[in-house]
Amino acid sequence: MYRKITMAAAVTAVAALALAGCSGTSTTTPSATLDNSPVKLTMSAWNLAATPTNEFKALADAFTAEHPNVTIELKDYDAAKYPTLVTADLAAGTATDLITIKTVVDVVPWAEGGQLADVSDVKIGDGVKGGASYNVDGKQYAIPYRLDGNVIYYNKDLFKAAGVADPDGTWTWDDYVAAAEKLKTGLAAAGSKALPAYQHGWNTLTQNFATVQTGNDVLKGDFSYMKPYYERTLKMQADGLQLPLATVTANKTTYQAQFGKQSAAMEIMGTWYVSTLVAQQAKGDADKFAWGIAPAPQKDAAATKAPVTFGDPTGIAINAKLEGNKLAAAKAFLAFIESEKGASKLAAMAITPAFINDAVTAAYFGLAGVPTDDLSKKAWSGQKILPQNLPNAKQPVANTALVAMHSAILTGSGDIDKAIADAQAQFKNSAG
Amino acid sequence: MTAIATDASVSSMPPAHRRGSKLRRRNTLIGWSFILPNFLGFALLTLIPVLALFYLGFTNWNIFGTAKWTGLANFQRLIGDTTFHTALINTFYYALIHIPLSFVAALGLALLLNTKIRGAAFFRTAAFFPYITSIVAIAVVWNLLFSPQYGPINEFLRFIGIANPPGWLQSQEWAMPATAIVSTWRDMGYYMILFLAGLQAVPRELHEAARMDGAGVWQRFWNVTMPCLRPTTFFVTVMLTINSFKVFDLILVMTGGGPGNATLVLSQFIYNQGFEQNNFGYASAASIVLFFICLLVTIGQFLINKKRSA
Repeated sequence: MYRKITMAAAVTAVAALALAGCSGTSTTTPSATLDNSPVKLTMSAWNLAATPTNEFKALADAFTAEHPNVTIELKDYDAAKYPTLVTADLAAGTATDLITIKTVVDVVPWAEGGQLADVSDVKIGDGVKGGASYNVDGKQYAIPYRLDGNVIYYNKDLFKAAGVADPDGTWTWDDYVAAAEKLKTGLAAAGSKALPAYQHGWNTLTQNFATVQTGNDVLKGDFSYMKPYYERTLKMQADGLQLPLATVTANKTTYQAQFGKQSAAMEIMGTWYVSTLVAQQAKGDADKFAWGIAPAPQKDAAATKAPVTFGDPTGIAINAKLEGNKLAAAKAFLAFIESEKGASKLAAMAITPAFINDAVTAAYFGLAGVPTDDLSKKAWSGQKILPQNLPNAKQPVANTALVAMHSAILTGSGDIDKAIADAQAQFKNSAG
Repeated sequence: MTAIATDASVSSMPPAHRRGSKLRRRNTLIGWSFILPNFLGFALLTLIPVLALFYLGFTNWNIFGTAKWTGLANFQRLIGDTTFHTALINTFYYALIHIPLSFVAALGLALLLNTKIRGAAFFRTAAFFPYITSIVAIAVVWNLLFSPQYGPINEFLRFIGIANPPGWLQSQEWAMPATAIVSTWRDMGYYMILFLAGLQAVPRELHEAARMDGAGVWQRFWNVTMPCLRPTTFFVTVMLTINSFKVFDLILVMTGGGPGNATLVLSQFIYNQGFEQNNFGYASAASIVLFFICLLVTIGQFLINKKRSA
């Protein structure tokens, strides 16, 4: 394996050196207006074969309907290896014209490597969220089209059976734990085997709430502010309110089965899960039960008035090699995906767009199976969604350390301070 | 007939000489054409990249753009990098458990299955099976077996009266031994086959003679079997050592380096630096260190073997 890695690195090296010779002049041309000559663009995407109705095709088709001279051809990539494969294609000079940004952290190496066009002249509209995640050194390198924040999913049937009041949108983390405790006794009394809550194994679900709700910045290298959030998670594990991380990792539990099969009454997850759950309930892969979504728990009562959660956008960038009419067409496409038209198209597919207004909300909640109560609407559109990852080269370095810290704390004997100190040292080693 | 014909062609002077060299050239070309596909693949995918590694290790290359020469900066950074130290220590820790454990298990199995017990062929196949099983399946199944709360292993340990069984893959103390156990279970079948082949070559007469002289089972094992097995033992130790130092896939699918950094090994450190953080120069430097560790240990083993066989 070690040999394979070095091999891959070196092959990319040769390709990159070859490319460096011919792409030294990539500067952004001033935005030209799109004329009516035929333009064919290619766009990178993933999971196309498995999902015939996907957001990429929907956006491309809707854009072509407005600009019949522009066709957008999709290129399918393996979702799990997407960043690596696109990086290799960029280095080899064979990447698509439009590059979908799956993970925010990829923008930095691609932008700093001169692979992405500066799209600062595509104005980010009022009400479009997530644009800052693609801003590297003051220049915009991609336009967001979807942004999923984290919310509480709760099983209304299980809450009712346990005799516990539904979330009301004013929950602090203490309220969340208190509700879980009540659920534990209530569910046991009702003869249900369900646990009160499920927390998936991702480090972000403890760490990023701490970061965005206390207004901290992980890239400063001090992670000690996460301690209270960890103490709460540890308490929930110890009191049997949720599966311990050790079991989640060992048994490879999935968040879809835990909530969809009613093994847990609450689960904090991104809004992308809404469409999955609706589809799984319709197909019978998930149980049929009433559910809703609520804003994420907050650090204190005052904060619940303007709830803060986290999430990263998905966006589209333009290959730096594009010029002339192709570049103009690509920029027109970027302007389209963030517009109300693009957003409505996505919302009608149960996707949470980066731009939300009343019309978009109506399109989303008009879908069969999506909960229509006011709290669900508030959770979907009324939370402030702060970035999960920052467009900074130090972010992936921090992530490696933070992933290790998460498992160290939640599976360890509970020496939080040592685990935090280790992670800070690890971050400092690599980030300098 | 052919022998005579060849003799005749060799003995007759000038024209035959030309024909002989032509034949030799033809044979050489045929030989080359046989190894060419493999050699091309090796050169393109292994040799050139490994050579490039020795250059990249001294640069700050990050995929795009040019690689700037930074001299020994990457290596100086490695010396002060505590995460690298952790990975280095973990790699040696893994090797220290995995090498002797696999060696003893494989040799034991081979000795057992070399006797004429009933169903030896079946058990040989059974022991080899883990080696050809998909590593992802191995990871999922062993993770479930080792699951601290509901896993069968801990259920059993609790049943026999151990109140607080270890957390295995989910505990920082036990994750590495548990991984080494799984890896031994997976590899022992392969090394068993090598030992079995070696055991076939031990002359029966030596055993018989030793028995005549009154040597017991242990004495025969130490004084007849082991010396005769030395070429095999040497090969197995070298392969085991190299494979232990560059362990990667098993760790990645079993624990991902966790919990914390308890099972972070050198190859994964290199992977993280290169493919997650885009520090290909720094990752190359760490690869060079790993390369030299493997090289030095192997040279050491060669020297020891040479001394013993002298």
